[in-house]
Amino acid sequence: MKKNFEPAGCTLLIRFTIFIFAFFCSISYPALTFAETSQTVISGGHSKEDINRGKRFFMGLLPFESKHQSCVSCHNLTATDTLNWNPSAMDIALKYAGKDSASFRQVIMEPSGKVMTAAHQNFDISDADIQTIKVYLDQLAITGPGIPKPSINRLLLFLLLGILITWALLDLIFFKKVKYKFIPALVFIGAFGYQLGMLYEEAVKLGRSQEYQPDQPIKFSHKVHATDNQIDCMYCHHTATESKTANIPSTELCMNCHIVVREGTHSGRFEIDKLVQAHEQGRSVEWVRIHKLPDHVFFSHAQHVGAGKLDCTQCHGAVEEMHIVKQENDLSMGWCLECHRETQVDFVDNEYYKTFEALHKELASGKKDSIVAADIGANDCAKCHY
Amino acid sequence: MSEENKYWHILEEFEPIKDARMPKGREEVISPSSRRNFLKVLGLGTASAALIASCKRPVEKAIPYFIKPDEITPGKAAYYASSYFNQNEFGNVLVKVRDNRPIKLEPNPKSVITPNGTSGRVQASVLDVYNINRYQHPLKNGESIQWEAADSEIMERLRQLADSGQPILLFTPTIISPSTKKLISEFVAAYNAEWHQYDAIPMDGYREANRKSFGTDAIPEYHFEKADCIVSVGCDFLGTWLSPVEFSGQYAKRRDLHNGDGNLNKHYQIEAGMSLTGSNADLRIRAERNDYGRILAYLRNKLAAKKGVPATELPAPPQAVAEKLDLAINDLLANEGNSLVICGDNNPDYQVIVNSINQMLGNVGRTIQFERTYNHYRGNEKGIEKLLNSNPGAVVVWDVNPVYNHPESEKIKAAIEKAPLSVALSSLPDETTALCEYILPSPGYLECWDDAEYKDGVVSILQPTLHKLFDSRQAQETVLTWLKDDTNWRDTIKSNWAASYFPKQTEQNDPERFWIEMLKRGEFVTSSNPVSVGYNQNEVEKSLQQISNEKPTEDFTVELFENINIGTGHGPLNPWLQEVPDPVTRIAWDNYASISPAVARQMGIKNGDVIQLGTLTIPAFVQPGQADKTISIALGYGRIKGIPEELITGVNAYPLATVENGFRQFAVSGFDITKTGGFEQMALVQGHQSMEGRPIVRESTLDKWKENPAAGNELHEQIKHHHTTLYQKHEYKGHKWGMAIDLNKCIGCSACVLACNTENNIPVVGKKETARAHEMHWIRIDRYYNGDEENPEVVRQPVMCQHCDNAPCENVCPVAATNHSSEGLNQMAYNRCIGTRYCNNNCPYKVRRFNWMDYTGADAIPNNRYDPANMTVDLSRMRHNPDVTVRAKGVIEKCSFCVQRIQEKKLTAKNEGRQLLDGELQPACQQACPADAIVFGDLNDPNSKVSKMMEDPRNYHLLEELHTLPSVGYLTKIRNKS
Repeated sequence: MKKNFEPAGCTLLIRFTIFIFAFFCSISYPALTFAETSQTVISGGHSKEDINRGKRFFMGLLPFESKHQSCVSCHNLTATDTLNWNPSAMDIALKYAGKDSASFRQVIMEPSGKVMTAAHQNFDISDADIQTIKVYLDQLAITGPGIPKPSINRLLLFLLLGILITWALLDLIFFKKVKYKFIPALVFIGAFGYQLGMLYEEAVKLGRSQEYQPDQPIKFSHKVHATDNQIDCMYCHHTATESKTANIPSTELCMNCHIVVREGTHSGRFEIDKLVQAHEQGRSVEWVRIHKLPDHVFFSHAQHVGAGKLDCTQCHGAVEEMHIVKQENDLSMGWCLECHRETQVDFVDNEYYKTFEALHKELASGKKDSIVAADIGANDCAKCHY
Repeated sequence: MSEENKYWHILEEFEPIKDARMPKGREEVISPSSRRNFLKVLGLGTASAALIASCKRPVEKAIPYFIKPDEITPGKAAYYASSYFNQNEFGNVLVKVRDNRPIKLEPNPKSVITPNGTSGRVQASVLDVYNINRYQHPLKNGESIQWEAADSEIMERLRQLADSGQPILLFTPTIISPSTKKLISEFVAAYNAEWHQYDAIPMDGYREANRKSFGTDAIPEYHFEKADCIVSVGCDFLGTWLSPVEFSGQYAKRRDLHNGDGNLNKHYQIEAGMSLTGSNADLRIRAERNDYGRILAYLRNKLAAKKGVPATELPAPPQAVAEKLDLAINDLLANEGNSLVICGDNNPDYQVIVNSINQMLGNVGRTIQFERTYNHYRGNEKGIEKLLNSNPGAVVVWDVNPVYNHPESEKIKAAIEKAPLSVALSSLPDETTALCEYILPSPGYLECWDDAEYKDGVVSILQPTLHKLFDSRQAQETVLTWLKDDTNWRDTIKSNWAASYFPKQTEQNDPERFWIEMLKRGEFVTSSNPVSVGYNQNEVEKSLQQISNEKPTEDFTVELFENINIGTGHGPLNPWLQEVPDPVTRIAWDNYASISPAVARQMGIKNGDVIQLGTLTIPAFVQPGQADKTISIALGYGRIKGIPEELITGVNAYPLATVENGFRQFAVSGFDITKTGGFEQMALVQGHQSMEGRPIVRESTLDKWKENPAAGNELHEQIKHHHTTLYQKHEYKGHKWGMAIDLNKCIGCSACVLACNTENNIPVVGKKETARAHEMHWIRIDRYYNGDEENPEVVRQPVMCQHCDNAPCENVCPVAATNHSSEGLNQMAYNRCIGTRYCNNNCPYKVRRFNWMDYTGADAIPNNRYDPANMTVDLSRMRHNPDVTVRAKGVIEKCSFCVQRIQEKKLTAKNEGRQLLDGELQPACQQACPADAIVFGDLNDPNSKVSKMMEDPRNYHLLEELHTLPSVGYLTKIRNKS
């Protein structure tokens, strides 16, 4: 354990250098990777021109004889923050990466599903053009869509404020260049105040992810399933009443319905095909986790849904209205405790609560008109932290 | 506390050693805090905090099953009935499986053998499965090989050897599995092989003696619960002898005063070294190890004289011993037919005498029954003789390690090396497998199918609860392959059961349903009839003659014994077992030579001084109660091969054993002690936990208790009257959890400590840290001596967090990380703790533990990691109980009364709409306790068992004069001195 520390002095300086280095690495990392991937080899003996032509065609930059929109207007190239039911360029590229352009052509020109048939109606694209699109997409499957340039993030602003503070302090104490002392003083107070505010904000948000709404590998819509098709939450999340976790349905469970249902109302066949393919390959779908409590919190669905008979929406929001699920509440401890103070317990009907004789007396004597979760100790530390 | 009892804690209280409490090496980590250090820490802290804070939430995947198996509910445990067997350890267990990983073993309450507890070793065995040192694929001469290639090569060579008539020797430990026995006999027939069972510490002398006395070589059942008087000569039946878990339960039943009838047994222990059993005895008679024969002969002759049976004159044991033996003889005569005399020595002559004593007293057929005899301990010396005296063509070793644990180690090593073919079927590397040409690893027992007939007519199932972790194959399957039999092993067992046990029952009428029922229950019990055995006393005279040839010697006798945790040598690989201190000496991570205080003083030996005994160099430990001319050394230590360096501890004492007349002996005379001048720091955990002479353990005698049930506990009433407070009392409107511990039933076996380790993810800190009082166990078993150092009385007390109503720790926490729950728990929120350790300082019971370093790998900063025993590698971490937070550096932790279990059981009751039943909720320590000494329950329920125990006049609280109002009560220890 002694090797923790460097032997000599100047440690602060070293630490600071490491910190600055790590900071710049973290900022420049995406840019580096982007630069690297754009130089990868070209597939299948196609020239750079072929690929560029395909790209321009895809983006609608070539003279386009059809009256239809460009490919990219439906099949987005980069990640979007709005819902696009159509498969993205990357999705398509990956799916057809291993297939020849004849089958690719067939899919585009003679689509099988209703949604796609409607969208691709009266398409008139030459085989050569389809070939170039295919070449471009094949290349895309290798390189990836590229990562958008990182925006100037808050850390940079924080650092800038730090420099301002340093300047203000140096000027106030040593250089005294600015004639009016109140200017650096104001800069100092303003910058420092703003920094504190940022720190507070970040500290509160640390580990929380309210409004988190990541893209999922399949455009699975809870609205379509729970509202349009009236599937009960408990059909898929069937262990919610008996276990700590609510269960994410297995591929096989999805296939109970999708063995028949092969085309979606919004997304056509493309998204469901991903599921079918996973099933054929014996894979699980790797969903992106949204709701996550820290490791030191032991939350039990069985307690809340089973014994407490809470509705799913109480914590998860109106998931049945969501096309893309997002985290509705911040899942902070304050939020938990608040609910415990308000939620009434099924105190009379459930025999278990007979043990709480003192509370039954208070209820009978009218001292209390109802028993909430906090009354039976729901807000004790060791109810969730052990 | 009675006036005359003066407890002392360590010998140094008589003769203080200067640095007894401040082990060396402390300055290593806590260096003086200088400005430079401060800057270092500050710099590191700022940089890491900034880096951590700038991290974005990582994208985490949530990957469901492809096909969810019906029996698995993520987040919920499933339990499978199985069994554990190793040497003298047997347990019918329920394996708790969370998300496909076995994480805890619990006693199977339906078992007829071990319904109410397990041993510590059973508890720790779950860690053996997740052992990174296991063989991970088949090997030939150290190089990886395919199974098919290895099989065909071995089969061909075995066939050649069989045809050429060269002996093929198969060594196994005692096999208690009927199906495996059948399989081996097929192998023996097919390859003309010889099968030898080999035990590290054998009991073949007992079998030989029983053959001579009773005409059967069976080891009978011993019924300690029926014995009013037990006389044990050097027999550690509560710790390591024959079937200790079973015996502990039986013994503790007769130490139960709570039902009020006061029908205690009386236990005499005659022994040289202080054993766990001896420390529980009502009267411990200190005797030299090489006097055991004369003592038995004396007992036999005195009894014979009183019963009018002819007796032979023999040299008597020393006068002081003989006088005390007379007391035992009187008690034995008063309880004829309800007494039990046992001896822990493998010498058949001794056992013949023991048999004659029991026969004389009419115990055979009553406290000793031949109805369901034991099937383990079938090993003998014949196999090793054959190995050494013939030139074997092939040696197949299957989980035996004679190179380590046989005195003829060097010769065995040479013989195996010389053999043209040597194959190991073990799962763990050891000294013997290291010599083998082929290694065909078998998986751990939680990955295997098997059955076990521990006692005649009680057959248990072992079923896998985990997919095989490595490229291993069960030894039985290997043998099946060699037999060119392509049925799988599970089906073989199943058909054996259908043929052997299905016809013996009437409940099920379909073999398939019978099998499924058995998998659920884990055990099948055939009906049995009383068996009466004949008795032949012709051999007694011969045995007495043999004993008369033994002469008392002036030099030292070394007594080798089995340690309760480490066992015969399986334990060293298991850091949990290493870290639990010996229940008597309270030393962890080491073995040592126990010498008596008188000898130590005479020779100027202090704890830790290294001494030379023949070829053995070993640190000495001054043990009160040790006989002067006997030195006791634990076996099972000093394993070297296949063990990571950090876990190599102690000295191998097996080479000191001898083989006499074909029976291995573990007491050897003719030693001198020489000081080498060396010193070794041992991890002694008791000095720093002394309670400084306050009335913490209270005891009395049976006679006094009969007059006044509060005898020895008078203080309790006095103190109660002084309790007054200005503050508002806590209100417990629902549950109020409490625990009562019967000091009269606790035998100190440490099963609770290991159960707690498993359940609560207790970290392992290693020898160095243990020596510095940094061990993390949430429950400890304090041991105090009372009386003179020559032969003191011993009391024990399990101490865990007392969950005080007036908890001193709660008031001083600056961040309210520890506070009181509405159910009387003293709760500890790790994520809130900032590590001031004020609570630790203010706790009068010293039960709070501080994570001085990151022992678990839970810390975000890798440099904080301190992992002396490979416990933070991914494989070891699979053992973690997912319901308990794994603590990081810098937080306090302590017993939570297994709050995760409380929550789970309450929830079950809520979901079923019923009240919690008393006894339904058991913390891990209570569940594992084979002696039933711990009772947990709701103090708000006046009818609960724990409430009733708290009402018992024997009940008191630890340091109750401090008005901490603990929720844990202790029931005074009552010795039977009548």
